[in-house]
Amino acid sequence: MTTTVPRQAAATGPARALAWARKNLFSTWYNSLLTVVFGAFIVWAAIRLVGFLFDIDTTIIRVNLRLFVAGRFPNDQLARLWIGGYITCAGIGLFARAIVRNAEFKAIDAGMAFDRAGWRAVTRRFWPLLMLFAVILGFTRTILPTLLTLLAIVVGIAAFLLGGMLPRGVARRSWLIPIVGTIAFYLAVAGFGGVGWNDWGGFFLNIVLTIAGITLAFPLGLMLALGRRSTLPVVRYMSVTYIEFLRGVPMITLLLMGAFALGFLIPGDRQFSLFLRLLIAITLFQSAYIAEVVRGGLQSVPKGQVEAAQSLGLAPWKTMRLIVLPQALRNVIPAMVGQFISLFKDTTLVFIVGLLDLLRAAQISTAQSEFQAQGLQAVTLPFAALFFWVGCYVMSRESRRLERKLGVGER
Amino acid sequence: MINQDVFSDATQMKGTGETMIELEGVDKFFGEFQALKHINMRVGKQEVIVVIGPSGSGKSTMIRCINRLEKHDHGRITVNGIDLSDDIKNIQEIRKETGMVFQQFNLFPHLTVIDNITLGPRQVRNVPKKQADELAMDLLNRVQIPEQAQKYPGQLSGGQQQRVAIARSLAMNPQVMLFDEPTSALDPEMIKEVLDVMQELATSGMTMIVVTHEMGFAREVADRVVFMADGEIVEVGTPEHFFTNPEEDRTKLFLSQIL
Repeated sequence: MTTTVPRQAAATGPARALAWARKNLFSTWYNSLLTVVFGAFIVWAAIRLVGFLFDIDTTIIRVNLRLFVAGRFPNDQLARLWIGGYITCAGIGLFARAIVRNAEFKAIDAGMAFDRAGWRAVTRRFWPLLMLFAVILGFTRTILPTLLTLLAIVVGIAAFLLGGMLPRGVARRSWLIPIVGTIAFYLAVAGFGGVGWNDWGGFFLNIVLTIAGITLAFPLGLMLALGRRSTLPVVRYMSVTYIEFLRGVPMITLLLMGAFALGFLIPGDRQFSLFLRLLIAITLFQSAYIAEVVRGGLQSVPKGQVEAAQSLGLAPWKTMRLIVLPQALRNVIPAMVGQFISLFKDTTLVFIVGLLDLLRAAQISTAQSEFQAQGLQAVTLPFAALFFWVGCYVMSRESRRLERKLGVGER
Repeated sequence: MINQDVFSDATQMKGTGETMIELEGVDKFFGEFQALKHINMRVGKQEVIVVIGPSGSGKSTMIRCINRLEKHDHGRITVNGIDLSDDIKNIQEIRKETGMVFQQFNLFPHLTVIDNITLGPRQVRNVPKKQADELAMDLLNRVQIPEQAQKYPGQLSGGQQQRVAIARSLAMNPQVMLFDEPTSALDPEMIKEVLDVMQELATSGMTMIVVTHEMGFAREVADRVVFMADGEIVEVGTPEHFFTNPEEDRTKLFLSQIL
């Protein structure tokens, strides 16, 4: 009897497909017409795309790969960037393990079981990043970068395993790892006669601007949101003015201001570099948006929560820090990450005022004498887009994971 | 006029005889609307007061004024000898002495049950974590849900949540407990488990003011019953007096509607 089951399924398969098509694609004469017209278009577009992909000449990417990834970073200093990469890998490995270890300790204290995610789960979680690395390494001209990347992965894993030995007290202070890591990274790249941030470029610049922008704009936005709800009129009106003014101008205006006008506003001879002025512009702009996102979160916390905290005798700022803010921020994770994603993509706007980011690298590579006027934007722009897509997609997935973990939507 | 009589014989303060809470001529306005009209009340140490009355009569507003969740406009409020003023330090002193249980529980959803209970002692009284955890487990045993300590409020039933809320208030070791319709948001089968905890608390000698519609509880547990209507205290008396022989017409009308 069991042998007849597959045969039956095979027999009904095509028939069911036909019935589905009749019901969904050819139900009326105009649906049939639309199906035929769009079907033909899709087939045509697919053929064109496949043809393009096979016909593609990726020499421009091979030649300019370093420009895309790191801008005009001096050749003889490139080792510093690799060391920075190793520090990053080690930091991420150590930090990840410390977080897991903290969760373990908590579970043990609570007398509950704790199971760690396996390697396969982690790979599934970050597959777009791994794919991006594979694509980049696929365009390298020597084997050396691949070997160095493999070594970086080894360093990351080693740091992760090392993190498993962290004692409780150190694991609890794991927030120090990103701070120490960032300082070490900066010293490795820029310290001791290295390459300062004014000469950073390529996708590396976009990442630095994103991380620095988020790190600076988030606390500022948080303070503005609290300021907007302050009972002190001065603080409140200053916050409102700031938020409404900066939300009311296009980001490009602020970047142009940062590039060409901010210098006049700063007294004294000391000038900030272009990189710093643009970072300030990005931070100011994004903090106003983040403030509004946080305000939405603050308003979503029921009044009863504050009353319960007050009736325990909790001081106002402790009520805010321990009761209101954790719930408010949890409620706005999707909007907040959306804001971060938009910040990430907006960092490409710095190319307008002359910083050499990934988008600018894609543009100038097609202006090189050997590649110009060959329509190679069709190669470089999708390649640049892939970098951003990977970054955005990973952020968005991680946000959804965090939401699930913190149980947004269930009370 | 009626309010002046509330201290006379049948309405005499019970408990140990010492005063725990005193309200003198308290007025409260919400815009034009007067929610409390010249409220006078004295609550003795270890006394259990049940406040009843139609909705909108100012019952909740009155007890919310006692720990300054609402600011009263005129009159004096004294809790355990502390005069309630606008000074935030002073307000916090009174809030440490008064536990409050809400209709909607208002547990902190992002904290586990045990963290909900230890928050007050640890953050306000600076009790070390270990000691606070022990205290919390004692209280969870007292409200009979020690096995729920590591869960989040959202995973508990309404009755269990309200018992956690009571334990959370008790963790501050308050002199007074205020209950604002603690069983009104509960499914009928869960009301009893909460009332049992409250009754046990009353027996242990806690000073309590309970706003409720549970007449059975008022009859069994209250030392005095206060009837409020339209922002005024209409009648005060022992449960026997109150339920068998009410004097005021408004009380009679209310009782006839609900009993």
